[in-house]
Amino acid sequence: MKVLVSCRVNGEQHSVLVDPRDTLLELLRERIGLTGTKEGCGNGNCGTCTVLFDGMPVNACLVLALEAPGHEVLTIEGVARGPELDPIQRALVEVGGTQCGFCTPGIVLSAKALLAANPAPSELDIRQAIAGNLCRCTGYNKVVDAIAAAAQATRKRLDHGA
Amino acid sequence: MALDPSPPHARPHRVVGKRLPRVDARQRVTGEAIYPADLALPGMVHAKLLRSPLAHARILGIDTRRARALPGVLAVVTAADFPELPVGEMIPMGETGYDMWMVAAINMARDKVHWVGQPVAAVAALDVHTATAALALIEVSYAPLPVVPDIVTAIAADAPVLHDHVFTKGVEPRPRAPSNVCSRVLIARGDAPAALATAAERAQITVSVDTAHQGYLEPQVVVAQVDANGFATVWASTQGQFTAELMIARMLGLPAAKLRVVPLEVGGGFGGKIAIHGEAVAVRLAQMCRRPVKLVFSREEVLQGGSGPAAGALIEVGVAVAADGRLVAIEGCYRMDAGGLPGLSPSLLMQASAALYQCPNLKLEGFDVVTNKPRTEAYRGPGGIQAAFAMEQAIDALCQRLGIDPLEFRKRNASVTGSLMPIGTPFPAIGLSTILDRVHQHSCWSDPVGVGAYPRGRGLALGYWRGTSMTSAAHITIAGDGRPMVTIGTVDLSGTRSTMAQVVAEEFGVPVEEIHIQTGDSKSVGYSDGAAGSRVARTMTAALVEACADALRQLRMRAAEKLQLPSEALDYADGAFRARQPGGAAISLAELMQASLTEGAVVGRGVSSKLPLGVEIGAHVCDVEVDTDTGLVTVLRYTAFQDVGLALNPAAVEGQIEGSVVQGLGWALLEGFDYGADGRLRNASLLDYRMPTALDVPRIDSVIVETPVPNVPYGVRGVGEVPIVPPAAAVANAIARAIGVRVCRMPMTPERVLGAIRGARGRAA
Repeated sequence: MKVLVSCRVNGEQHSVLVDPRDTLLELLRERIGLTGTKEGCGNGNCGTCTVLFDGMPVNACLVLALEAPGHEVLTIEGVARGPELDPIQRALVEVGGTQCGFCTPGIVLSAKALLAANPAPSELDIRQAIAGNLCRCTGYNKVVDAIAAAAQATRKRLDHGA
Repeated sequence: MALDPSPPHARPHRVVGKRLPRVDARQRVTGEAIYPADLALPGMVHAKLLRSPLAHARILGIDTRRARALPGVLAVVTAADFPELPVGEMIPMGETGYDMWMVAAINMARDKVHWVGQPVAAVAALDVHTATAALALIEVSYAPLPVVPDIVTAIAADAPVLHDHVFTKGVEPRPRAPSNVCSRVLIARGDAPAALATAAERAQITVSVDTAHQGYLEPQVVVAQVDANGFATVWASTQGQFTAELMIARMLGLPAAKLRVVPLEVGGGFGGKIAIHGEAVAVRLAQMCRRPVKLVFSREEVLQGGSGPAAGALIEVGVAVAADGRLVAIEGCYRMDAGGLPGLSPSLLMQASAALYQCPNLKLEGFDVVTNKPRTEAYRGPGGIQAAFAMEQAIDALCQRLGIDPLEFRKRNASVTGSLMPIGTPFPAIGLSTILDRVHQHSCWSDPVGVGAYPRGRGLALGYWRGTSMTSAAHITIAGDGRPMVTIGTVDLSGTRSTMAQVVAEEFGVPVEEIHIQTGDSKSVGYSDGAAGSRVARTMTAALVEACADALRQLRMRAAEKLQLPSEALDYADGAFRARQPGGAAISLAELMQASLTEGAVVGRGVSSKLPLGVEIGAHVCDVEVDTDTGLVTVLRYTAFQDVGLALNPAAVEGQIEGSVVQGLGWALLEGFDYGADGRLRNASLLDYRMPTALDVPRIDSVIVETPVPNVPYGVRGVGEVPIVPPAAAVANAIARAIGVRVCRMPMTPERVLGAIRGARGRAA
């Protein structure tokens, strides 16, 4: 049995048939073809599948596809504006905060939620915000540095813009 | 093939050594990078593996009829669908190789199962749900055998024997009875037991280390497709497309001309993705159902026997000094838990533990032991962590007895260039003395440890890893616009494409943005060994220096012809050939290729083999605070010093060190497999198998020392493995200095730390 689900992902409306057992992660990856969101564990312990659900970071593997209607989902594919990277993405590139890259999309989204709520986070704030995202390659130094740099760059731009 | 020494670089490097972003970083931060799980082919079906619920059992029969009858099931396979491979049929890989009998057993059990999670059958079905349902319909009849859960049980005289054909290697005369001890290795000089018995002071320690996992975030995934000609393409997350191809071909009896392995992005490997896990099974299923097959491991499968963890260990070390403070004896006994099939030789880890000390009397004895746990696989400096946990604690305990500063002790006894390694050959250029001087000068050593709510301590530990070289191949073609297009034969695990683009840019004197670089599949580039053993950056640099020289030699001949000058009258720099005399003619690579592209391709080729080793050495200093009420250890500060020869890209080198240290801290304090007596893993999830989060670790400071390796292009050393070697020992030494108690069991979890504190109190009372 398949069920028709309509939802907004990265500002676009999608209507897709899902298996009622499908998670939001399966909806994104298998039904819509947005494979940037990764699956590291499938039970909410690693954070690689982090997406924003109405602006809140969630593990897409813990949300059912059937729960998606009526909500706004932001995935890694919706973070950059065309060719222009988000400051978080740009800083990760420049600082070297991505290695194997498997955890990176989830980290970008956790950081995005953090900076939306707190434009001037301390190092501890940053570490807390990404504590649900396991990374096995970087040891977190350069991830933390990149998020701090992105916060600073965003503040500067806002200051200049004001 | 003779080694081409690198050309002397008179001018300072312009691209090599620079902190440049990775060439593929944008794809990674935007989610565009393609891992095998991201592939979806038309008509693709899904596979699942049925895994053994028992740790040790004979398989009496497998009935797949009900599974085959389930609507939506397209194919079911068991070991009967694969050729039976004899013991000892080897896949070549560097100095060791892989026994195909074992590779086959990792992928599909035949007759017996040796661990929980070993595959016994596989299903391909239209969707994952149907495949999963079909697994439940496969009836396997097992005759359970007694479980051998650990090393102590395995080496007992009356232990049940896992493999009837395994007789202990390295023992004379050859044993008459099979044994769970697969091999014994002895490395000795002088008379260590006698020196130990008569020395002025000695320290002895016994440690046990739990099995742990590499913990790559991307579970194993494979997509296999077989075309109408029977040609199979495998998209894999693998550390070596050629090794994978050899293994798949041998497991299926396929000729090499019928198989191609395409390495996609790898979401972490750390040694666990060298051997195949399901690739050959997926191809067999694809052959049978004539549709592309995707096989994705769940995290539970990865942990519960689906892919090899790192070996647990039981290690005893004794060290002794003469009255003058010189180390006179090292004696070590290393028992490694290989899991259900024979493991790696313990030789390298034994050597690693003792290599950094000058010592006249040495006796290192190692044993590779099988138990009913998943067959272990390499993990970043395989065995080095466990061995250092014992050795560096023994050295530290000796320093405590002597009342000597542990850094000073190492300065007096450390190996230097020319010192004898444990196997008796002299060290090539190493920078250990420089490293120890740098530690001495650094604030991480001179700052006071500070006072906290609980006791604090500072630990020092050294690490050594030999690494390997093996072989790497690459080729460079020159595009119509004169730009170098590079294809390398090694998988990119650690930023290889980025650092190698820097090398080619340096050699060609062009900006790195002008280089295109890709990893070839197993049919589009020359044979290269897998990405393992800290070998890729070094050997691929050598291959590319050779390939660049080859391409530039061909370009020089063309330039000479176009400029009508003898080729030796031309200088090459910055992407152009110029006549040496002032005001002479010049031609850029772009102009040259514009004028000569259709005269034939320029293909520069390079192969590195037998490159001198780039041994890795590091010293780590860490400060901890030990909560004596709960046993919780907090790492407050961590500094890693490492000799890298030359940092091709300092950001990439730091990234390797920082990540490696945090993995090391993970095993030190958090990560351990918890097996029941039935051989079942009780913490097969990332909630219960706890890897460090950003809140569990401090900022890792790295200090890079550069002592170039002679006769190696750019003098590059291995980087990625050694920084995981000292952390557990450094933490243990810091704990011992904080609370006066040694925690000899790893991971050093709060309950074990508390147990050690209470044990010491009990002894004192």
